[in-house]
Amino acid sequence: MKYTTKLGGVEREFVIERHGDALQARCGDKTFALDLRLVGDGSAFSLLVDGRSYDVVADIGREEVALQMLGQRFVVHVEDERERAAHAVAGNKVGGKQELRAAMPGIVIDVKVAVGDAVEEGKTLVVLEAMKMQNPLAAEAPGKVTRILCKKGEAVAAGALLLEME
Amino acid sequence: MPMFRRILIANRGEIALRVIRTAQEMGIETVAVYSDADRAALHVRRATHAVHLGGSKPSESYLDIGKIVAAAKRTGCDALHPGYGFLSENEDLAQACKDAGIEFLGPPPHAITVMGDKVEARKAAAKAGVPLVPGLQEDVDAARLVAAAKQVGYPVMLKAAAGGGGKGIRIVREEKQLVEAFELARAEARSSFGDERIYLEKFVTRPRHVEIQVMADKHGNVVHYGERECSVQRRHQKLVEESPCVALTPELRAQMGKAACDLARSVGYVGAGTVEFLWSEGRFYFMEMNTRLQVEHPVTEMRYGVDLVREQIRVGAGEKLSPVPEPRGHAIEVRVNAEDPDKFFPSLGTLTRINLPGGPGVRLDSAMYRGMEVTPYYDSMLAKLVVHGADRDQAIARCARALRELRIVGVVTSLPVALATLRAPAFAAGDYDTSILESIDRKPTAQHEELAMLAAAAARFLGAERAGAAVESAGAARASAPRWAMVGRADRLRRTGP
Repeated sequence: MKYTTKLGGVEREFVIERHGDALQARCGDKTFALDLRLVGDGSAFSLLVDGRSYDVVADIGREEVALQMLGQRFVVHVEDERERAAHAVAGNKVGGKQELRAAMPGIVIDVKVAVGDAVEEGKTLVVLEAMKMQNPLAAEAPGKVTRILCKKGEAVAAGALLLEME
Repeated sequence: MPMFRRILIANRGEIALRVIRTAQEMGIETVAVYSDADRAALHVRRATHAVHLGGSKPSESYLDIGKIVAAAKRTGCDALHPGYGFLSENEDLAQACKDAGIEFLGPPPHAITVMGDKVEARKAAAKAGVPLVPGLQEDVDAARLVAAAKQVGYPVMLKAAAGGGGKGIRIVREEKQLVEAFELARAEARSSFGDERIYLEKFVTRPRHVEIQVMADKHGNVVHYGERECSVQRRHQKLVEESPCVALTPELRAQMGKAACDLARSVGYVGAGTVEFLWSEGRFYFMEMNTRLQVEHPVTEMRYGVDLVREQIRVGAGEKLSPVPEPRGHAIEVRVNAEDPDKFFPSLGTLTRINLPGGPGVRLDSAMYRGMEVTPYYDSMLAKLVVHGADRDQAIARCARALRELRIVGVVTSLPVALATLRAPAFAAGDYDTSILESIDRKPTAQHEELAMLAAAAARFLGAERAGAAVESAGAARASAPRWAMVGRADRLRRTGP
């Protein structure tokens, strides 16, 4: 199976095949001998790459794999060849709707914009308080605020839609 | 005075557990208090008794003085430990305990009141001969300001008396800018805080946060256990603490220790306290006194081989302070918070897996357990990792090693930030100040990134493979399959579907 991975602006393609107990990965002209074992019941793995040992915790989602390894956290975008083909057909949408959602349950401390405001990337839209900390939620791209669905003082659930932009 | 029979711990989390552990070692019973969210918390399970206080919001439980004192009375407690945070620096709780005949394991109400007020605390420090950041606090006008700035030397800071958390601060580098800046700062303070009072302070360059641990008994004895350096902080929240501080000479350490003890003595202090100083260019200045046990107290415990909670309980019972042991080696503490290491955003969830570090010189203070839910109600700190080494280099290496052993799955943690700090050349050299976190390069190496991409692809491959096997065994245990297998199974189903 061929996987396209992206991390920090870098893209790498790995072809992974099984040969009995061992896995082989190819990336360009490099070949790695892999041995990957699940440890316990879920997200912990022992990974041997050419005999070097890595303790890995992986949370595997459809598009992203979040890893704890080497004392760091990595969120790697992964597509297998079929997903990649499907995305290529769908094409890239340019512009369109932006949604601001609450990443965690919390209380809306402030709404910094009004409907109709043109905002730049990085502009704070809403301030959400959770765990005694105030968290500014910023625009990920420039746009115009089209709807505001929360108000100051309101408690919101994780995933709640707070604001829409175009 | 006899030792206590039963102590109520008016707190939660790791500090409640910390106090329970020492009490248990001393043969003292403990009463835990808890909110709705904390029914199954570790401090409830480890205490000898537990009392439900109310709702999960702190105001309905851990901040309700009436409920807490009533619980202490009802369970026949003869002492109360406030921990840190919540009501630990609340003079009303100290007074309510006193009125109820329960020993509050902290200073008398008066000492809490004085140190809790910025202006009063500064006055007390000045009276006790503790150095303050030079400046002009009272009757500020343009002419007096110019004279004061000339005396303390530029750059200077103009601060709004009603400001806080970095708001309302202006730095002035030259005399010709001073009066204009003062007028602007005053107008700003009036509109932002409704209070136009401005004061002037010398701008302290490259400050380090260095604090002295003190302990006082009821017989007039005050001792100190050296310093902790806590300059690694983000938005005034400490992340890495160490002792000793590499910037202190023995003479300066002795001066700071004496200043801290003098201040404690001057307010009739009892129990554990911390006097926080700013250190800059070989001089130190009083910041504030925290009238409680600090989060980072284990750094001192590791270096001195002392149990500060035991000392708190002993002096509360009227005993005399134990002699201060000789400090040895080097200790480092790292706080592990449930927060995104890049955006410092709190991370909520259920802890599905925990691997704890071990080995020589390692201590982990934590109340986390597998299955614990991290809720938005309380502080995001999950654990404190504390290590001791023969010297600073060994302590740093040991801390990094133990951090790599610690795995927490279910929430995202600040652990990578701590590890990057320990690796940073400025930290290793000991040449850092309170801005160190802003300058640390946390970008992983290209080689590490490549390994992560390989691991991610391999994990997806294994997930798809195992899901395939699961499909072949006709959907057995489908509901209990972990999430990665579900993703893999969807892959497989799509592939084999019509």
